[in-house]
Order: sequence, then structure tokens, then C-alpha cells
Amino acid sequence: MMDQSSHAFTKTSILPKPVAPSGTLAQYIHCLRASFGHSLTLMLRRQRIIFAAVITFLPVVIPLAIAFFSDSQFARSGMDVFSKMAGEAHINTLAPLLALFFATMIIGEDVESRTIPLMLTRPMPRSAWVFGRFGAYLMVSTAILGTSMLLTFGASTALSDLAFDRDGLEKLFTYELAMLLALMANGALALFLGAVTKRPIIIGLIFLYGWQRLATFVPGVVDFLTIMKYTTEMLPVALESTNQVVREEILEFKKQQYLVGASKAAITLLGITAVLLGGSVVVVRIREYATDRAAGT
Amino acid sequence: MSTIISAKNVSKWFGEVVALNDLNVEIETGVTGLLGANGAGKSTFIKLALGLYRPSRGSVTVFGESPRNNAAVLRRIGYCPELDTFYDNMTGYEYVYWLSRYWGMSAKHAQVAAEQACDRVGMTERMDDPIEEYSKGMRQRIKIAQALSTDPDLLFLDEPMAGLDPQGREEMFSLIRELGDNGYSVVVSSHILYEVERVTDNVVLLFQGSIMAHGKVREIRSLIDAHPHTIHVDCSAPRILATHFVQDESVLHLDFEGESRLVIRTKDPNACYARINAAALEPDVEVTRIHCADDSLQAVFDYLVK
Repeated sequence: MMDQSSHAFTKTSILPKPVAPSGTLAQYIHCLRASFGHSLTLMLRRQRIIFAAVITFLPVVIPLAIAFFSDSQFARSGMDVFSKMAGEAHINTLAPLLALFFATMIIGEDVESRTIPLMLTRPMPRSAWVFGRFGAYLMVSTAILGTSMLLTFGASTALSDLAFDRDGLEKLFTYELAMLLALMANGALALFLGAVTKRPIIIGLIFLYGWQRLATFVPGVVDFLTIMKYTTEMLPVALESTNQVVREEILEFKKQQYLVGASKAAITLLGITAVLLGGSVVVVRIREYATDRAAGT
Repeated sequence: MSTIISAKNVSKWFGEVVALNDLNVEIETGVTGLLGANGAGKSTFIKLALGLYRPSRGSVTVFGESPRNNAAVLRRIGYCPELDTFYDNMTGYEYVYWLSRYWGMSAKHAQVAAEQACDRVGMTERMDDPIEEYSKGMRQRIKIAQALSTDPDLLFLDEPMAGLDPQGREEMFSLIRELGDNGYSVVVSSHILYEVERVTDNVVLLFQGSIMAHGKVREIRSLIDAHPHTIHVDCSAPRILATHFVQDESVLHLDFEGESRLVIRTKDPNACYARINAAALEPDVEVTRIHCADDSLQAVFDYLVK
């Protein structure tokens, strides 16, 4: 190996010498912030964010519509309506959708727009690039989906047995937390697909809306291989019942149905996120992204 | 002069396509032209040197180290890709700014660096316009600006003259020469020999994934001394001038173009030049121009390829 000092340059800079942050940590943070800021700028300028926001805010209308049109006793339960909307719509449908909208493009966009050689020739840790962009995705999607859930909660208070009181807000917080974890796990999966495949949206659609739904109908433990299994487990159902008989029945039911419980589900979702983010960083380090265009050039 | 890029027994293939085949080359400081027809392996070589590719066989080092995922090496490199590589909905200034931020600059430093780099390539007036509104030449210049903004020691310019108008080309030639004069190392790839010739006489010739020749144009030409050189002499009396070469054994062929040009094909150009100089002193032979077509890289390339 050649001595690094042998490459000392007697160069007269035609532009001022750039200042790089000193220290590995400082450099890492600079790159992380750059990646976050750049990705946030790009996301906020895309037209698809308007489309995503419109779809995401649709659930807000439903409690209001129910309050206005329905006379059903069941429909009048604000808690029920909110639980269904937050669980089914926000967490298990819209969170994967936002992941497909934004997270698949975290790396996929650079591949598509051919800017990835510029990214990969920057002297930045690949993990800072990936994490910064993932942070921007999480911020944007949480802001949209979290606000939608909050408004849905507010709209559901128009119905009975739900209010902005301590109980109601605790419930809201639990759902918001589950939503955040859903966005993280689904986003990490979408990011990973964007890093390893050329068609992340199609494969993501098949997994998130095809396989996950199918797996819930298959008897046994197949649904453990879905993200939805764990996001659903995060949701507060009747587990808080103080009735001992009901609690025991529920525990028995959980055993039979291979339920894992909220805390284990949360840990699993965090684990899925960490593994997929780590996997994405590894893929970015080893994959030759420009290969497709290289042959014959 | 010191070696900055070293490729040892480098091969790179993509499936069944061999892009580079057992390449051995050392590129030194200064401006180097990477020359070859489309498909010769120029871009592949650059991407190997940038660490975007791993060699299928052999090794590539830049500043003595492998460039792949190596921040210490990449910090000293600037890259202007051949293709348009832009983000949507972004101005030229923002493009340079964000790429400077990715280099590790703070927001404040990146702002200054982006402004100065845009200014250096003459894009100050248009830097706040969306890139989508730029002409091809402006796009090329803003790509150069992002490569310059980090003041790299080594700059890779992949087909930098592509799409530029004549004035843009002249400005690009001038910029590259200035970079070289100021001690920057620049690797310029092109498939147009004239372009490379305008910025350097130090070339690496690639042909079908292999090095065909490497060195100064004249050094390369010495490799092909077996080939005759063609010298054009414009003068008032070409037939009188021709009599000086009739007995010369190194002259293979004499020809006349019009009434004022003698074309000499010789195996010994130096002796030929000396004889022309001597003849030019005679009063009835007024030499107005001597031109050796083989000084052109195109001729060298044609010789080597054929």
C-alpha cells in the first residue's frame, strides 16, 4: 500500500477550501442532518404528499358521517368507532400505504433519478444517509397520520362515550404509539425493498396488502410472518377488563390464537425496524447500484 | 508527479459482458484524458476509481487506498457524471448546496461553497432557477459546480463536453486547463479525441475494455513508429520541394494536393522536418505551413485501432 503522504498536493485552490467537521461523531451528525434535511425538502415538494394527505384524512369524515346519518346504538359508541378507524384504517391500512408512498423512495428515488452515484461518492457513512432519510420519512408520515388520527378522535367525540378526558387521551396515546411503531416497521420494510429491488412498490403492495391479509385467514402461526400481526397486538382491545373471569378467558383465547401481547409486539416491531434498517445499510454498502447502466458504456 | 490512481490486473464484467479486461494502469497527478470509443470501458473505469463498482478481478487504489466506501478517499474526489443526475423540483443552487452538505459541510459553509462554485462556472444569475428550465450547457455547468464545490484534489469529469455549444466547450477547456495549472488532478473522459487534445497531451487510450496505449501523445506515437507519418507542406513550389525527398529512403510516398501542397509519407519524421527546413531556405520554395496530421490524437487512435 502506498504511503498516504506521497499524495500530498501542491494545489492552489480556485475555490475556498471547504471546512469539514472535525471528529467522527460530528461528521456523522452533519451527514445525518444533511440527509434528513434534503429528504424532508424533497418529500414536502412532491405532489404525492397532497394525494397522501387527502387519503389519510378521509377517516376523519367517517365518525362525523355516522353521527349525522346513523341511528344505530352501536354506531353511537365513539370509542368503538375510533378504535375501528384507528386500528383498521390508520394503523393497518394507511400506515403501510404511507410507507409505500414515501419509504420506498428513500433509496429508490436516487436509483430512479440516477443520482445514486452522487450519493455513493460522498464521504459520508452510509448509515447516516439511510437513517437521515428514514427520519425524514418518519417525521412526515407521523405528522400526517398522527394528525389524521387526532382529528378522527376529535370527530369521534361527537358520538357517545368518548371525550378529551384522561381515559380518552390515554387511549389516543396508545393508538398513536401503535401507529408510530407501524410506520416504523412498515417504513423500514419499504425502505429495504427500495434498496434491494427494482419494483419496491409492487412487491410492497403484494406483501403489505396481499400476503398480510391472506396470512390472517390462514390457521396456525403463518401470521407471525407479517407486520400486521404485531401492530394489531398493540391495540387496546378488551384486555383492560377488570373482571377476573373475562381476563382469564382472554388469556386463554390469546394462547389459542398465539397472541403475543402489546409489549412483546412493540419490541418485535422495534426489532423488525432495526433489522430492516440495518439490512438496508448493508445492502447500500455492498450493492453496485450503477451496474444496470454500466454494460456497454 | 505521483501516482494517484493505480489499477492492477483489473477486470470488470457484468454478466457475460466484459467491460474491462485485465487493465493495468497508473495515472499520475495532472490532467489525464481517458480516451476511447463508446463501450471502450471509460465510464466503468471511472466508476471503479470512484468505488461505485468492485473489480471482478484485480484491484484499484486511489491515493493509495481502495476507494469503495472509503470516506478518507472520497473526501478528496469530485465527480461530474456523464448523465443528467438531478433531483426534481430543485434549483441549481440547491443542488450544489445539498451535495455539499452531504460532503459534511455545515449549512453555513455549504451556502458559501455553493454560491462560489456556481459563480466559478458562470451560473450565478441562473442558480436560483429550477434545473428543469436549464439548457444542456447549464446542466453541465451545474454538475461541474457540484463537483468543484468541495475543492477536490482529484476530479473525474465523465464526458464533460457532451452537449455543450462551441463557446461552452471553450469555457470547459479553459476551466480544465486552469484546474490542471493550479495543481488539481483531473481525469477527463471523452470519445472525441479533439476534446481531450485540447486539455492535455497525457492520455490513456482504451479499446474494448483494454488499455491500448498510455502516455504523452508523442510518446504514444513513438510506439507506432513502424507506421508512416504524413506531413503536409504548403509552399509556393511543391514540385521543387519534392525533389529534395526523391532520394530519401525513409520517404515512402510523395503526393501533390492542388498547386501548393506537398504530402510526404515518411518513416523518419525528424529527418524529414530537417530536410524541409533546409529546403525552405531556398529562395524559390516559400514554405507557408507545415502540418503533421499525426500530431492529432485522432490519427494516433486510428493507427492503433486499425
